[in-house]
Amino acid sequence: MSRWRLVPAAAVVGLSAIVALRSSAPSHLELESAWASPSAAHPLGCGEAGVDLLALVSHATLRGVALAAAVGVVGMLVGAPLGAGAALARGRLERAVARACDLVQSIPTFLLALSVLSAVRAPTRVHLAVVFMLTAWAPFARLALAEGRVLRAASFVEAARALGATRAAVLAKHVLPNTVGVVAVQLGATAAAVVVSEAALAFVGFGVQGGVSLGGVLDQGVASMLRAPHVLLVGAGAVFATSTSLMVAGRALDGHHARR
Amino acid sequence: MGQPSREGTARPLAQIARTFAGRLFEGLVVVWLLATLVFFAMRLLPGDPAALVLGDQATEADLAALRSRLGLDAPIHVQYAHFLRGLVTLDLGESLRRPGTTAAARVGLALGPTAALAGVAVVLGAMLGVGGAILGAGPWLGRRRAWVDRVATALAATPLLALAPVVTFVLVIRLRVIPLPGDPEAGAAGLLFASALLSLPLAAQVARIGRAALAEVAKAQYLTVAKAKGGSDGRVYWLHALPAASGPILTVVGTQLGALLGGAVVLERLFDRPGLGTLILDAYASRDLPVLQAAVIASGALFVLAQQVASASHAAIDPRARGAKGAA
Repeated sequence: MSRWRLVPAAAVVGLSAIVALRSSAPSHLELESAWASPSAAHPLGCGEAGVDLLALVSHATLRGVALAAAVGVVGMLVGAPLGAGAALARGRLERAVARACDLVQSIPTFLLALSVLSAVRAPTRVHLAVVFMLTAWAPFARLALAEGRVLRAASFVEAARALGATRAAVLAKHVLPNTVGVVAVQLGATAAAVVVSEAALAFVGFGVQGGVSLGGVLDQGVASMLRAPHVLLVGAGAVFATSTSLMVAGRALDGHHARR
Repeated sequence: MGQPSREGTARPLAQIARTFAGRLFEGLVVVWLLATLVFFAMRLLPGDPAALVLGDQATEADLAALRSRLGLDAPIHVQYAHFLRGLVTLDLGESLRRPGTTAAARVGLALGPTAALAGVAVVLGAMLGVGGAILGAGPWLGRRRAWVDRVATALAATPLLALAPVVTFVLVIRLRVIPLPGDPEAGAAGLLFASALLSLPLAAQVARIGRAALAEVAKAQYLTVAKAKGGSDGRVYWLHALPAASGPILTVVGTQLGALLGGAVVLERLFDRPGLGTLILDAYASRDLPVLQAAVIASGALFVLAQQVASASHAAIDPRARGAKGAA
């Protein structure tokens, strides 16, 4: 019913993939067309040293989305079973997980990333992913915990228990599948946040060394705001389109859990 | 979150003192944890910090000299004890790139502008957001008030990273109403503009959550009583409904503080403003480890302080959050 919500994200990723496959690496330079405005040859214009912005933005978007998807999926695979399992176990484990979620969610991700990356000589994508995963699991665990608290009292869970299902089986077959709605929304939100954080880190100079990132496009755009404003607008538009489309896509699976 | 009290008859002053001490202790523990994380990250991650500072061409003698200057040649527990002593006495070493200046002094200079930027942004964001929430919940706009929620939701979904450069471009280059980024004469106008930008995401969140909280409160009986007494709509919403809705609003402000400080780093970079963010980026680029370490810890401490202030003001405004009486 709400499958149309996947359309923006599919369009962003699909278009980026098509362009990225057709164009050479985004480091392909034509010095004579540096900072050129959009034209037939370069639909989004050119940036620093004549790099084609369409190719650059496509490659950067794909890499950002890949990182975001990896972080989101790992966060979900760690957080959701942890939260739902804690809700089924009740007692001390439940309280410990809830407390840990509170603690981790109060840590500002961006500042944490700055602190950790400042200790690394040349950050790579793996470093970035690890830093984001440090906190990414917590919202999933918290949501699954809340859903698990409701579901553990549901009659079908009671029935499964009465029929002799182990706690792990109840968790895997009856509880986790019913948390998919809320968890998917969080997946979209997490992916969007990672795209923005990655771009922000690259923008302030903490990104992957020499890497292709939407933050790098914004950085070029700010430097050339006066002579070539299109670079800035392209960068900002790409960050906006990627993050909001991911956020919307997360709500595609969101059936009766829709927020009102 | 409020501190649940086990004694229902606690004297107010003693209780406030205990709550304050508890908050202070909690904050100190968080700062200590962060400082420890930073300390060990800088020493235990692969890569020799001395080589990081001096580059690949450094001779072994230079590296050894720097290691002993930074105290890196001592065993790790000795280093940690020294680090903790420095943390308490605010002596975190000397800047490597500006000899004669202590790291604490550079951080102190940078703390002011960032605190001003973030502080003004929090105040602006709270005011804008509360105004929006009351407009969205109250009767003044009629059917059009649904737009408050729509605008706030759209604004909350827009990353500051995309919004700030575009708004800056329009106002600075097209309309020329704002001084250029990095303009030393920007002064108060520059601060106000940067803070206003930084406050937008916060204002949007406060407006959304505040509107929902006010709509919930509006069903309560005491609001009907307030209306029946002949209070104007403004009086009813500002004096009676708003304090009751302050819990969710302050909680939102608290949860947004981290994002706000992150946004401050981005805006300092965008506008070329001096501050903690700029200092962290400079120290990182020039491998000035003592300054980097001190600046990262200071930004964490600033965040913890701001968060504790948010939860303390929640307790001051909403009696239910104080425990004791509200527990009933």
